[in-house]
Amino acid sequence: MFASDFSLPTMLHARVLKSPYPHARVKSIDVLGAEELGATVVTFKEIPQVRYCPRLVSVPSATYKDWLVLTGKPKYVGEPIAAVAAETEELAQRALESIEVEYERLEAAFDAEDSMGMKDLIHEEIELEDEVLKVEKNIGCTLEITEGDVEEGFREADVIIERTYRTNRRYHNQLETKTAVVRPEPDGGVTIWSTTQTIHNSRLLIHDIFGIPVGKIRVVKVALGGSFGSSIHVNPPVPIAVALALKSRRPVRLSYTREEDHHDHCSYQMVFKLRLGAKEDGTLTAGHLDAVLDIGAHQIQAYPLLGCVVGWWVSLYKLPAKSYVGKAVYTNKVPSCAFRGYGNPQITWAVETLMDELAEKLGIDSLDFRLKNYIGEGDLFWGQGPTVKSIIQSCGVEEILQRGAEMIDWYNRPKPEEQTGRYRRGIGMGRGYHTSSAGAPVPSSIVDFGGASLKLNEDGTLDYVTALMDHGCGTLEAHAKIIAEELFVPLEKVNIISADTSTTIYDVCTHASRGVYSGGGAALKVAKQVEEKIREYAARMLDAYPHALKIYCDEERGQGVVTAEGIEDRSVTYEEIATTARHKNWGMIASVDSYRQPSCPPHFTGYFVEVEVDTWTGKVRLERVIAGADIGTVINPDLAAGQIHGGLAMGWSMTTLEDTPYDPLDGDLKNRGFINNYKIPSTQDLLDLNDLTVFFADTYEPTGPFGAKGIGEGALNPVAGSVANAIQNALGIRFYELPITPIKILKALEQKGG
Amino acid sequence: MNIEVTVNGQRRRFDVEPNTLLLNLLRDGLYLKGAKYGCGIGECGACTVHMDGEAVLSCMILAVEADGRRVDTIEGLADGDELDPIQEAFIEEGAIQCGFCTPGFIMTARALLNENPDPSEVEIREYLKGNMCRCTGYVNIVRAVQAAARKLRK
Amino acid sequence: MEINRFNSHIIPIRFDYHAPKSLEEAVRLLEEYGEEAQILAGGTDLIPKIKQRILEPKHVINLKVIPELACIKETSDGFKIGALTKLRTIELSPLINEKLPVLGEAARVIGSVQIRNRGTIGGNLCNASPCADMATALMVLDAIARVDSVEGTREVPIGKFFDGRGQTIVVPNEVLHELTVPHLPEGTGSAFVKVGWTTFDIATVNVAVTLKLDDEKVADCRIALGACSPAPFRVRRSEEALKGKKLTDEALEEAAQIVSEHIEPRERWRRAPPEYRRKTSKGLALEALTEAAGGARRLTK
Repeated sequence: MFASDFSLPTMLHARVLKSPYPHARVKSIDVLGAEELGATVVTFKEIPQVRYCPRLVSVPSATYKDWLVLTGKPKYVGEPIAAVAAETEELAQRALESIEVEYERLEAAFDAEDSMGMKDLIHEEIELEDEVLKVEKNIGCTLEITEGDVEEGFREADVIIERTYRTNRRYHNQLETKTAVVRPEPDGGVTIWSTTQTIHNSRLLIHDIFGIPVGKIRVVKVALGGSFGSSIHVNPPVPIAVALALKSRRPVRLSYTREEDHHDHCSYQMVFKLRLGAKEDGTLTAGHLDAVLDIGAHQIQAYPLLGCVVGWWVSLYKLPAKSYVGKAVYTNKVPSCAFRGYGNPQITWAVETLMDELAEKLGIDSLDFRLKNYIGEGDLFWGQGPTVKSIIQSCGVEEILQRGAEMIDWYNRPKPEEQTGRYRRGIGMGRGYHTSSAGAPVPSSIVDFGGASLKLNEDGTLDYVTALMDHGCGTLEAHAKIIAEELFVPLEKVNIISADTSTTIYDVCTHASRGVYSGGGAALKVAKQVEEKIREYAARMLDAYPHALKIYCDEERGQGVVTAEGIEDRSVTYEEIATTARHKNWGMIASVDSYRQPSCPPHFTGYFVEVEVDTWTGKVRLERVIAGADIGTVINPDLAAGQIHGGLAMGWSMTTLEDTPYDPLDGDLKNRGFINNYKIPSTQDLLDLNDLTVFFADTYEPTGPFGAKGIGEGALNPVAGSVANAIQNALGIRFYELPITPIKILKALEQKGG
Repeated sequence: MNIEVTVNGQRRRFDVEPNTLLLNLLRDGLYLKGAKYGCGIGECGACTVHMDGEAVLSCMILAVEADGRRVDTIEGLADGDELDPIQEAFIEEGAIQCGFCTPGFIMTARALLNENPDPSEVEIREYLKGNMCRCTGYVNIVRAVQAAARKLRK
Repeated sequence: MEINRFNSHIIPIRFDYHAPKSLEEAVRLLEEYGEEAQILAGGTDLIPKIKQRILEPKHVINLKVIPELACIKETSDGFKIGALTKLRTIELSPLINEKLPVLGEAARVIGSVQIRNRGTIGGNLCNASPCADMATALMVLDAIARVDSVEGTREVPIGKFFDGRGQTIVVPNEVLHELTVPHLPEGTGSAFVKVGWTTFDIATVNVAVTLKLDDEKVADCRIALGACSPAPFRVRRSEEALKGKKLTDEALEEAAQIVSEHIEPRERWRRAPPEYRRKTSKGLALEALTEAAGGARRLTK
């Protein structure tokens, strides 16, 4: 059951009043018409004047706060100013339309450069911990890092290339629009069913904003209809519905229309100036990256992202010296939030394209160039930013690249200059990685830990409860497998129990590809604790030493069995242990505990892509894809492959299709939020089953549960680079802007005279 | 307006306003939450149901247009505890990730297999192109339809 | 401002609903309610437009209950296709696929099966989109539209069906009844080509061609271009350039080039700039001409 499917008796339907202007001040608001229709109305004047950041994944010193539940100074078209709740959605819609607002319009900027020169500040003040910061030039936050002597590094280089890359501003287009159903409770608390990747952070945020005691806020875990990072932060419908529920004292359902959802969140749009230098033998010597993030009208996690962008960059290839200047700039557009990869797809595209170009100039094969410089086993890795460093302990990059190259016949790939005619073929590759969680041996600026509880039932089955969300990637099933494996029970004997914030301990969030690596780690921890207690009770029953007992799975009886090996009649099933424990009042075998992974090992991926470009229409078709992934032990091969399939489709779409352009005349999205003008691929757009090969490298991650790592984001990160490089191989033309649309391709072909 | 619609084999009477959408009648009037709202304008296929045996988008059909007709939703596919072979195939082939698009896909696939019990991959992809999935890249969905076709042919 | 009036969850306006059982009843309703009424055929264009508040009818007239409005009939002069004939029916019709294949091909690339199970040929035309695939195909078939009202009936050749300003010539008290399509001469090859951003999209450019050969010379040729002007149209100059000529690659290329020189896109069109449509229309025209020529050759063997 999804949040948007959920309904309660006496529930009211809510609608949000959205700003029609990209930047304005509300001079007056008249809600009498709405109230006369019987609606409950909440405006920006009545919500708690608490500035917050909706994402609680980072520590306070890295969490910039510039949001209010509802605003009197809207900063983008679509920003919520007021909200109504009424008996039916139709009545709520009429109530909404009856609200009269007078606005004073302000200057607006739709591009980071313009914004930095704008007189009207989008935010004058924002907060960081208890400090109030004055914003200058609409810059939300900055980060600069230098390591090594970069000038010297560039002097040593025989070849230097610098390019400017502009990414698109994509929309997650997760199938379920953002929704919250909130029921006010008699004790002054609330129960919340919502689209979220983190029930505990939702609870904490509502507590921070409304002051309701934490224990009186119950956020229930429900199925989530896709997210890809758009619900790492608490979405606006949640606090808005809470405000309406508290005022009306009725349950309230606020579910965004698709067009509202399209105005609610988008990916981070980035402009990179990237410079890399290499010696003629192909060794990289230095790099400089200038990153300007166009983050829209609010910060969600711009500051941590500045750290991740440089982290992702420097963890791809060995750079003895590197410097980075990053800034996050406010614009009057839909706020940006994490989108599968959190900056990694963007920077990997830029780097993989530049690596190809550099290799060409050096006269070295681009695959060999990568093999020479990649960061792998034994190397220092800081993908999650400068505060999260660790040494890589498992790496399958060589296997991925070499096997993939062989399968696609890499060294015999087409030559662009030899191709004529309407259709041109090209083969390109890209490699990348993503972290598995944001764990580390010491605290960092990122909160990353989880918790789980496990109990042994009277019939030998186990109940497993965790707050960690499963987005449908098989995460919780993987945990169940881990537990079943550890405790020698058949998989179906592990029950995954529904959860809410009252019955679970804290888990930070399902993101950063940490579901299996971190969450599975927590499951493993409690499983081991349960095992100890099983041994202890079994020892009492068998008059044996707990550590000497053996445990195995009796498939026939479907039970875990504990036995003193070799000695007759000295074995006992889990069911017998649990029942005895109950009759003898020993207590129930159970464990609740938190767990933090001491590292965030990268999982690696590589894509080899063959495309066909139609030079008459500019359309690009995927012909063949070979995808390799190193995810350590593959716990769920089908579901892991499913991540690759989805990552490929999403990456293909990122490279060739998606963007949310703005109309500078009215500051709104050109498509007004309607997705008939935001296309994603259909079944007919992607390649046939036989043309897609997925393989897994044979590796083992010592820190992962049973050697496993994550895969969710690594599945996406290198796709854009590989597709862009394939297009370059087909046409001999390189593009420095995403998406690479048919329009741009035809224009470039004309300029080239092809 | 009074209408009579046969939903999943059961005749039902409703009194609806002309502007009620079939999707909302099913979801809010009958609590059949399988058909989903994904976009409201026919772009995503999440609201797919069958009307008189044809796959249609319920977000663009007025409830009054269903008067006297037969409407079948995903909830009508399973026979008690026994799943429809298409549902089974989707589960077995890993074609379900977040699951939000699944009812729409299964209803479209059901219509396809009713018309064409042995579709090629090309035919499957063409028939399903009005259903969007953001999670799976469609690979396992296509496999599931092929597996379901095999099951049904037995 | 519009953003707060959009609501695609529901139909955000109220209207009176009518389901006339005969054409007489329908035209009487249109006479009475005219300007304030909209016709509900498949609903796949009307309902999204209402949700986006582009149309706010006070009366909605459902024509699907009128039996004679959905049909495909062959007569001695040609075919009669009722306005309410579903696109899926046209797509799958053995008659259409045998005798008017370009129409079946155009229907097939509209939307998805779900959309074609509801969408109608009349709806596709009367929505007056410059991208309407059926319109481009009907242009090369020299179709004639029959439009009814209380005053009677009138016939309008498809070339005059669109007014060039984003509307059809159907006035508020009228309804499109049927399309008459003359037989295609034997041995006519045809093709329909469309490109959109994905395979489930409206056309950025579409082209329809019919071509008949006499020996290796072009006896008859009709070329229509869609999505590149306010309404799809026949590119007569291109047809004239080919008529009577020997079928060579150069002749086809020249004809395609002429097609590309006749686009009339609007500044405010957002999909693609004129340059893109110019180049792509040439490519698609050449592809369609080549395919139609190939078909004509095969049929005259």
